Amino acid sequence: MIWLTWRQFRVQALTAAAALAAFAILLAATGPHLASLYAASAITGCHGGTCGTAAITFLSQLQATSPYPIVYLLGIALILIAPAITGIFWGAPLIARELETRTFTLAWNQSITRTRWLVVKLTLTGLAAMAVTEALSLIYAWWADPIGKAIDLGGSTSLFSGGRFSSLIFATHGITPLGYAAFAFTLGTTIGALIRRTVPAMAVTLAIFAAAQIAMPLGVRPHLIPPDHTVATIESVDLDFGNLTATVVPRQPGAWILSSGAINAAGQTVGTLPAACLGATTLGLKVGSSPGPCLESHGFREAITYEPASRYWPLQWIETGILLALAVTLAGFCFWRLGRRRI
Amino acid sequence: MSAVIETGGLGKRYRRKWALTDCTLSVPAGHVVGLVGPNGAGKTTLLSLAVGLLAPDAGTIEVLGGVPGAGRAQLARVGFLAQDAPVYAGLSVADHLKLGARLNLGWDAGLARGRVDRLDLDPGQKAGTLSGGQRAQLALTLAVAKRPELLVLDEPVASLDPLARREFLADLMEAVAEQELSVVLSSHLVGDLERVCDYLIVLVGSRVRVAGPVEELLAAHHLLSGPRRDPATLPDGLEVISASHTDVQTTLLVRTSDPVMDPAWTMSEVGLEDLVLAYMSQAAGRRRRDNRHHLEVRK
Repeated sequence: MIWLTWRQFRVQALTAAAALAAFAILLAATGPHLASLYAASAITGCHGGTCGTAAITFLSQLQATSPYPIVYLLGIALILIAPAITGIFWGAPLIARELETRTFTLAWNQSITRTRWLVVKLTLTGLAAMAVTEALSLIYAWWADPIGKAIDLGGSTSLFSGGRFSSLIFATHGITPLGYAAFAFTLGTTIGALIRRTVPAMAVTLAIFAAAQIAMPLGVRPHLIPPDHTVATIESVDLDFGNLTATVVPRQPGAWILSSGAINAAGQTVGTLPAACLGATTLGLKVGSSPGPCLESHGFREAITYEPASRYWPLQWIETGILLALAVTLAGFCFWRLGRRRI
Repeated sequence: MSAVIETGGLGKRYRRKWALTDCTLSVPAGHVVGLVGPNGAGKTTLLSLAVGLLAPDAGTIEVLGGVPGAGRAQLARVGFLAQDAPVYAGLSVADHLKLGARLNLGWDAGLARGRVDRLDLDPGQKAGTLSGGQRAQLALTLAVAKRPELLVLDEPVASLDPLARREFLADLMEAVAEQELSVVLSSHLVGDLERVCDYLIVLVGSRVRVAGPVEELLAAHHLLSGPRRDPATLPDGLEVISASHTDVQTTLLVRTSDPVMDPAWTMSEVGLEDLVLAYMSQAAGRRRRDNRHHLEVRK
């Protein structure tokens, strides 16, 4: 059965291996130079306040240097798309194509139960999907390491601004790619078993997986662990169209800020801030000096809801665990579906 | 063992619609059994149940004394060739043999290779580019080389041209003779089966209309023709299967163990095709009468 699985899967496997190798070569060709740029930047040997400035300088320089912006975006895009591709092209046809071409009559009448057939198919192909996605993620994490470090130091440009908690970075680093790959693959297999035709199953798989990829950072991830709350003096803020938005949590470097806003002396949330403090603003964007001390003197403080940086790995494990649990459930459904012998 | 397939009140439905209802039959071992019936009689459903691709919704089915499709041992004992002989288009002939070797404990590699050589199949050729006849031969090779006790073939020749049909059936008979297999094959054309079957089951509307060894069936059925008269006036022991009348003449297909002595009748032999058609139209007539009856009750 392992032989048959490989024989039917080898073209896809080799295609994936080739794509992975091409991506690895691209990163290997540009990665060392990126690291040397970082080593040569003012970030090396900086301390305290100079680090932020040095990081901004480094990232600005990088953003202006081809091909780093493109590779940076390409990497994230690939890791986000890889699970969808394996779900569509490996998962959806796994059962659907056998039903469509009626070759299941051949496969399931050899001296092998369909349960074993599915065990081997799901395990080998599913593990391959997970391995490809995670391999992409790991080599990309190696390549983007200097960028991540600079962002952690407070550096930010229009392109390089996502800390490790940002939606795209969180889902493409760590162990979450494993979860997304397993989920997308079993989702495709299940949809294929239900719809029984390959092409419609591919389309439905893509739609559902994309929806899940969007729903996870927006609706699920912020609720996985109850966030912490703090009230702090207004230090570093952005004024986003007149609303106060915290960019850092005091004494919590690298924290993930879920929401923030100004509160008055009575502890109530305020929507409008005294115009006198906002100074010269253009379209609500801050111009000139920080409004912090002024707002402070009016008794305003900022309330922040956040996840401390130490919860990065717990959140990674929980999100990956949820996705793997979904994958196991979907796989179980496939076994049940085939075992009912209604096909 | 006397029966290779034994069913009792067997039923299968797809969503709301029953494809097979209350089917009770016994297929004896050691025969090449033809399962004949019109399209939609439930032949494919019955055979899919027999090989375990489907699970019954009602009744029971036993194949070679076991539950169809239950476990490797049972799967190894039954070979199946599905309608239109599906094969993996992207795999070569040699790949298919390897598939058989990998997935079957009792695989007879010599037999498989010998068949492929004899049939002039190019081992390197992709199965998707084979002709319909070659594809059927390849699928049959897979089914027989696992050395089953029972070979089930669903409409094996329906999509083949007459020459390929003849070759396929001759080849099948050779394999059967060599391996002492029990075979069940279905068809909606009696002509295909006449040459190869020694046992016949006529299935119409999921009911067995007649079953028995072909020779006995032919010996027990006769065509009677004579001046027009009411079939009810015939002697006892005669079962009229079909009757057709012209103004002056009546032709009857009857089942009887004794010869008809009445000199008014001319008795002649009946062909297998006429026999099967008679049972099929008898069943159709019965259904029509049933429907009429329902309508009357509703009024």
